[in-house]
Amino acid sequence: MSHMIETVKDWFYRNGLFLKVFGVTLTSVLLVTILISVSTLRISTTYFMDTFSLTNERIMNESKRRFDDYTTAVVSTLQSVENSGTIKRVLDRERTTSIVDAQSAYDIVTEVRRKYARIQPIGANLIVIGPHEHLYNMNYSYWPVTYEALYNWSFNDQLKQQPNQIQYTMVENEGLPLIVAGTALSNQFTSGTYGFSYVAIREEQMRGFFEGYTSEENTIVLVNRDGVVLSSNQEQWIGEALGGLKEMINQDPLSEQLIDQVTVFGTDYQVLMEYVTGLDMYLVNLVDQETIVGNLINARELLLIITGIVLMATVLSWLISRHITLSLTRLVRQIAKLNKHHFKKRLEEEGGYESTQIARAFNYTLDELDQYVRVVVESQKKQRDAELRALQHQINPHFLYNTLTTVKFMVRHEQTEEAVETIHALINLLQNTLGEVGETVSVEQELENMKHYVQINQARYGDQIRVNFFVAPDVYAYHMPKLVLQPFIENAFFHAFNEKKTGYIQIMIQKQADTLYCEVMDDGDGMTLSKEAFPYVVKHKRQMFSGIGMKNVQERINMLYGNQYGVTVKSAPGEGTRVIVTLPLIKS
Amino acid sequence: MKKFLLMFLLVGMIGLLVACGNGDEEATDSGDTNDTDQTESTDEGSGEAVNITAWAWDPNFNIRALNYAKDLYDGEIDLDLEVIENAQDDIVQRLNTGLSSGTTQGMPNIVLIEDYRAQSFLQAYPDAFYPITDYVVFEDFAPYKIEATSYAGDVYGLPFDTGVTGLYVRVDLLEEAGYTFDDIVDITWSEYTEIGKAVKEATGKDMLTLDPNDNGLMRIMIQSAGSWYFEEDGQTPYLAENEALAASFEALKALFDANIVRLNSDWSQFVGAFNNGDVATVPTGNWITPSVMAEESQSGDWRVAPIPRLEVEGATHASNLGGSSFYVLNQDGKEAAATFLSNTFGGNLEFYDTLITEMGAIGTYLPGLESEAYDMEVEFFGNQQIYNEFVQWTEEIPAVEYGIHTYAVDDIMIVEFQNYLNGQDLSTVLERAQTQAETQLQ
Repeated sequence: MSHMIETVKDWFYRNGLFLKVFGVTLTSVLLVTILISVSTLRISTTYFMDTFSLTNERIMNESKRRFDDYTTAVVSTLQSVENSGTIKRVLDRERTTSIVDAQSAYDIVTEVRRKYARIQPIGANLIVIGPHEHLYNMNYSYWPVTYEALYNWSFNDQLKQQPNQIQYTMVENEGLPLIVAGTALSNQFTSGTYGFSYVAIREEQMRGFFEGYTSEENTIVLVNRDGVVLSSNQEQWIGEALGGLKEMINQDPLSEQLIDQVTVFGTDYQVLMEYVTGLDMYLVNLVDQETIVGNLINARELLLIITGIVLMATVLSWLISRHITLSLTRLVRQIAKLNKHHFKKRLEEEGGYESTQIARAFNYTLDELDQYVRVVVESQKKQRDAELRALQHQINPHFLYNTLTTVKFMVRHEQTEEAVETIHALINLLQNTLGEVGETVSVEQELENMKHYVQINQARYGDQIRVNFFVAPDVYAYHMPKLVLQPFIENAFFHAFNEKKTGYIQIMIQKQADTLYCEVMDDGDGMTLSKEAFPYVVKHKRQMFSGIGMKNVQERINMLYGNQYGVTVKSAPGEGTRVIVTLPLIKS
Repeated sequence: MKKFLLMFLLVGMIGLLVACGNGDEEATDSGDTNDTDQTESTDEGSGEAVNITAWAWDPNFNIRALNYAKDLYDGEIDLDLEVIENAQDDIVQRLNTGLSSGTTQGMPNIVLIEDYRAQSFLQAYPDAFYPITDYVVFEDFAPYKIEATSYAGDVYGLPFDTGVTGLYVRVDLLEEAGYTFDDIVDITWSEYTEIGKAVKEATGKDMLTLDPNDNGLMRIMIQSAGSWYFEEDGQTPYLAENEALAASFEALKALFDANIVRLNSDWSQFVGAFNNGDVATVPTGNWITPSVMAEESQSGDWRVAPIPRLEVEGATHASNLGGSSFYVLNQDGKEAAATFLSNTFGGNLEFYDTLITEMGAIGTYLPGLESEAYDMEVEFFGNQQIYNEFVQWTEEIPAVEYGIHTYAVDDIMIVEFQNYLNGQDLSTVLERAQTQAETQLQ
C-alpha cells in the first residue's frame, strides 16, 4: 500500500509540470465556459423577461379592452331589453287567443331581434324569458335550453335580489361552458320582476378575446372573485377554483394592477392582473417563467455544446501539454542518465519544436565537449610522446662516460679484443636506441640490444651477475616497443644485488595465448611491495642508460596498447624479483 | 502519427458538434417532406387516396348519413373523405364569403345546401359548382328535387333528404272529439279547422303549434298547390295574383281565428308542444318523426295523414318542407367528389336501406324507395307503414322553382301575414307584398 502511495507520489512529482500546465488550462476553460454561459443566460433571460412583461402588459390591455367592449355591448343590450315597452307588455301578458298571441309573439320577436343585432356580431346569444311561458331564444342551437329549465334556474333568484344589476355566471351546455350575463327585468313602479334577460356567450368565443396572444406557458384566465376560472386558454382549468388567485384578489381587490407570484397546480407563475369592471372579474395573466425561459434556452443543446467544448479543450490541452511536458520530462530523464565522460551518447531529438531544439543544442554541446576532450587527450598524448622521445634521446652521459672509461682501461691493458667487442656493443646499442621512440622493433633485434647492453654492463662490472636469455624462437618475428625490458634489466643489475654479490638474471620471452609474455627475473635481494599493481618506488634512482625509466614503461604500454597490457611485479625480501611484461602480438 | 491522431480527434469533435446542431433541422426537414406528400396526394391521378372534405350541419342526420356513405363507398377513385360539421348559417356565410371572392381556398369539395337556398348559390356563382349531370341518372330521383338542384340545363346537386310533409295526428285526442283517423285523411284545410275547433272544445288542446316568425306552413301550403312565391323564371315575384298564396293566407288566418293555434318561438317550444301533449296535430316535414317518437309515453297515439289541401285548382295532399342536396365545388378533387356522390347517394340501394333502417331517413332516390325496409310497420304510429306512405307522397310533390329569393320574400310574407291577421284586407296585403318584393329584389 505504502509502495503504491509512493509510486503515485513519485508519479505526481515527476509529472508535476504537466499536471500544473494541464490543471491551469482545464480550470481556465471550465471557468470561462461556466461563467460566460451563466452570465449570458442571466442577461438574455432578464432581457427577454423584461420584453416579455412589456408585451404582456400590452396584451392584457388589449384583452381588457375587448372585454370592456363586450361588457359594454352586454350592458347596452340588456338595458335596452329592460327599457323596451313592447317586451314588458308581452311578457306581462298571459296567453289569450291565437291571434293576440301571434301578434304578441311577432312583436316581441321583432323587438328582441333588434336588440340581438347588437351582440350577434360578437357571437353571443340573447334570451328573454317571461313568467307566462314566454321564451325568446334568438339562437336556439347556441343554447338549446327549455323554458322550464331556464325559468327555474337558481341564478334567477340571485338576479331578482339586485334587479338593476347585471350578474355573470357559467353554465355547461353539451359539455361546452357558456358564460351568461343576466339581469332581472323589473318594473320601477311596482318593483316587481316581470322577466329575465340573458346574454350568453360560449367560453370558446370569449376565449377568442385573448387566446391569440396566449400559449401553454403564457396563460390568460378570467376569474371571478372566488377565484373560479370562467375562461382560459387552458381548457382543463375552466370551472376550477384557483386558491392562490383568490387570496390575491382578497388581499388587494381595489388595486388596479397586481404583480406577484402564485402557484397553480404545482407550477409557479408570474402574475399580471387586471380588473374587468363590467364583469366584476379579474383578467389574470399567468406566465410560467421557468418554462418560457426553458423554451428560450435550449438547455440540451447548450449543455451539449458546453460539454463538447470542454471535452475538446480537455483532451486537446491534455494532449498538447502532455506532448510538451512529456518531451521535456524525457529530456530531463535522459540528461540525468548520462554518465560522466559518456559524451558519445546522444539525446533523442524528438517531441515539440522547443524540446527538439533543446536536445539538439544539448547534443551539439556534447559533441563539442567530446571533441574538445579528445583534442586535449590527443595533445597530452603527443606531449607525452615528445617527452619520451626526449628522454630516449637523452642517453645518459654517465653511461657513455663509464662505458668509454671501461674501454679505455681495456685498451690500456691491451685487452684489445674485449675493447673492440665492447665498443661494438655500444655502437649497436646507440644505433638501435637513437631511432624513433614510437617505433617497434622485432624481438630478435631487441634481443640483440639487450645482449649488447648486458655485454657492456658485464664488461664494466665483471660477470658476478650472469644473464641468461630464454627466447622462444617462434616469437622472433613479433615486434615490441624498443627498450621495454631494458629498465628492468638495469634495475636488476644495480639494485637487486646490493647484499648478495652474485646471482642470475633470467630474461624470458615467449608467446602465451594472444600475448607476448616477457619476464625479467632475478634471484637477488627482493623487496617488500607496498602496492599490488606497479610498485616501483625507485624514482629517485637515476637512470643509468636513458631517460626512460621503469615507471614510464607501464604508461607507455597502456598508452600504446590499452589497459589489458602492462607490467606486474612479484617480489618478497630474499626471494628475488619477477617483473612480467605483457604485450600484444604484433607482426612487423 | 501523434499529430495525425490529434487532428483526427479534433475533426471528429467538430463533426460531433455540428451533427448535434443539425439534429433539429433534419427533424423539421422530414416533417416538411410529409406535408408535401399530403399535398401531392390531393392531386388528381397520383394513384394515392384523394383527400376530399364535406361540410354538413346535423350530426344526427346528414353528417351521420355522410359517414354511412363513406363506409359503403366502393368507387373507382381511391379517396379519403373528411366530414366537417358546421352550423348551417356558418356554411352559408362561408360559402358566400369564399365564392364571392372567387377563391376555392379553404372550401370543401362537397357541401350540403338547403333546397330553398340552392338556386341563389347556383345563379350567383355558376362557375363555382361542378355539374354532375353525367354522374347520375336523374330520372331516378323525385322530380321536385331535380328542379331545385338544376340550373341552366345542368344538374348540380345530388338530392339527399326529402322534406315530404305529413300531418302527424294524435288519434286519441281526435277520438275524444268524436273523430276517427280516417276523418282527417285527405281533407281540406277548412275541414281541418273544423276538426280543430271540435278538438279544442272537447279537450282544451290546441290543434297545432306555430311560430309566427317562421313561415313554414305557408310554404307547405303553396307548394302543395304547385305554386311558389315566383313565376316560372324563379325571379319575378308572383304574389298579388297568386291564388294558392291567397288561399293559404285565408286557411292560416282561419286557424288563428278559430283560436286553435298554440304559439311557439323556438325549437324547444315547438317540440315541447307535441311532446307535452299540448297540440293534437303537427303538419310538417317528415324529418320530425324522430322528435315525435322521442316521447315514448305517446306510443300508439300517433298516426300520419297526408296534409290537408287548399281549395284551389291543382291542389294536392303532398308538399315539401326543407330538404337539402349535396353540391360539388368546381376545384381540385371534383371528379373524386362527384364519383363519391354518385357511388353512394346517387344509386346505392344498400346505402338507402341503411338510411331508412338506421335513421328513419327517407331519401329521394326512387329505386331506393322500393326497398322492403320501407314497408316497416312502426309501432309508435299504431303499426302504420309511415315510411311507405311518405315515399308515395314524395312522388306526388309538385315541382316548383324555388328561385333565389325564397327567404327574402318569406320575410315580407311574415310581416304582411301579421298585417292580414290584424284585420287588413287580403288583396291589399298581397299587393303591398308584391310591390315590396319587386322593389327589394330589383
